[in-house]
Amino acid sequence: MNAIFCVMLLLGVIGAAATGRVEEAQQALLCGGSEAVTLCVNLAGAYAFFGGLLGVLRESGMETALAAALRRPVQRLFRFELGEERALGDICVNLAANMLGMGGAATPAGLAAMRTMAQAGCREGRASHAMILFLVINTTSVQLLPTTMIALRAQAGARDPADIVLPTLIATAVSTLCGIVLCRLCAGWTDRRARERRRGG
Amino acid sequence: MSASFLLPALVLLCVLGALRARLDVYSAFVRGAKEGLLTLVGMAPYLAAILTAVALLRETGALMRLEGLLAPLLAAMGLPGEAAPVVILRPLSGSAALAAVSDVLSTAGADSRAGRLCCVISGASETVFFTGSLYLGTAGVTRSRYAVPVALLSYLAGVIAAAGLV
Repeated sequence: MNAIFCVMLLLGVIGAAATGRVEEAQQALLCGGSEAVTLCVNLAGAYAFFGGLLGVLRESGMETALAAALRRPVQRLFRFELGEERALGDICVNLAANMLGMGGAATPAGLAAMRTMAQAGCREGRASHAMILFLVINTTSVQLLPTTMIALRAQAGARDPADIVLPTLIATAVSTLCGIVLCRLCAGWTDRRARERRRGG
Repeated sequence: MSASFLLPALVLLCVLGALRARLDVYSAFVRGAKEGLLTLVGMAPYLAAILTAVALLRETGALMRLEGLLAPLLAAMGLPGEAAPVVILRPLSGSAALAAVSDVLSTAGADSRAGRLCCVISGASETVFFTGSLYLGTAGVTRSRYAVPVALLSYLAGVIAAAGLV
């Protein structure tokens, strides 16, 4: 991120000097931050609302119930190596929290799951198939309600801020499914190659 | 069809569910709201940094040139040039992507195709590099094998799906 930020600033400043737009550059530097402050103030109400709603959901046990419901499908999806199945509980808590948009609760459970699997199946810092699948599912987003985007659209004056929910759900389902299928393919492919190498050597 | 019923319906379900569980809805809501506001406060400095940089690039014309440069590549995926900063920043940082989406919404309009598309892309994906390095680092993984290419390909699949849907 550091490199990207520096490139952005340098490109802007050098570009401004080259095209003689130094005044615009100064204006942008002085006012860009106030855009952020305005954005935060405008988002505050919606963030408080979604935070409150999530608080109610969590304290009424929604997260725990969802995690319990996920147990069976997750067990079937992951092909655990010996010992890795001990991470199942944490994986379900992580996925349930992510689906509900509770990033704060998802990350600790996710990290605990990764550590458990690393202790069981990780040889010399090599990620196991289950670890990679878990990571890929986490990076493809499984959030059911894009709360931040709804809030952002509401403050930008969208006619119907929640009208992106359905396309977002489909797009995230496509990326997650794609991740799962690609993981399966890569796992099968690397295992086959390893077997062949063992037989050949 | 309007999606405006979604949030009110969600509130109804939440409150009814919470009452059945004999929960103090008010206190739970306040605790959650505090958490939400603290998240936002934590994000503010990052938003300030990126929005300053984006404003600089926009006002000096560099953003337009970048969009022009990437437009053919994005067009092949069915995306408008305006989506370039969002597509690039999304896998790197959540607040940077939020800043970029906010910029698109204010310049192209919240109900424009570019605006809606950027919202869908951003809402349907995660910070691939940040999550990846955090999870792999915690587990002491040095050889991540096919994890990063698969994660990025899946992200692209989501982007292309979004372009087809919006």
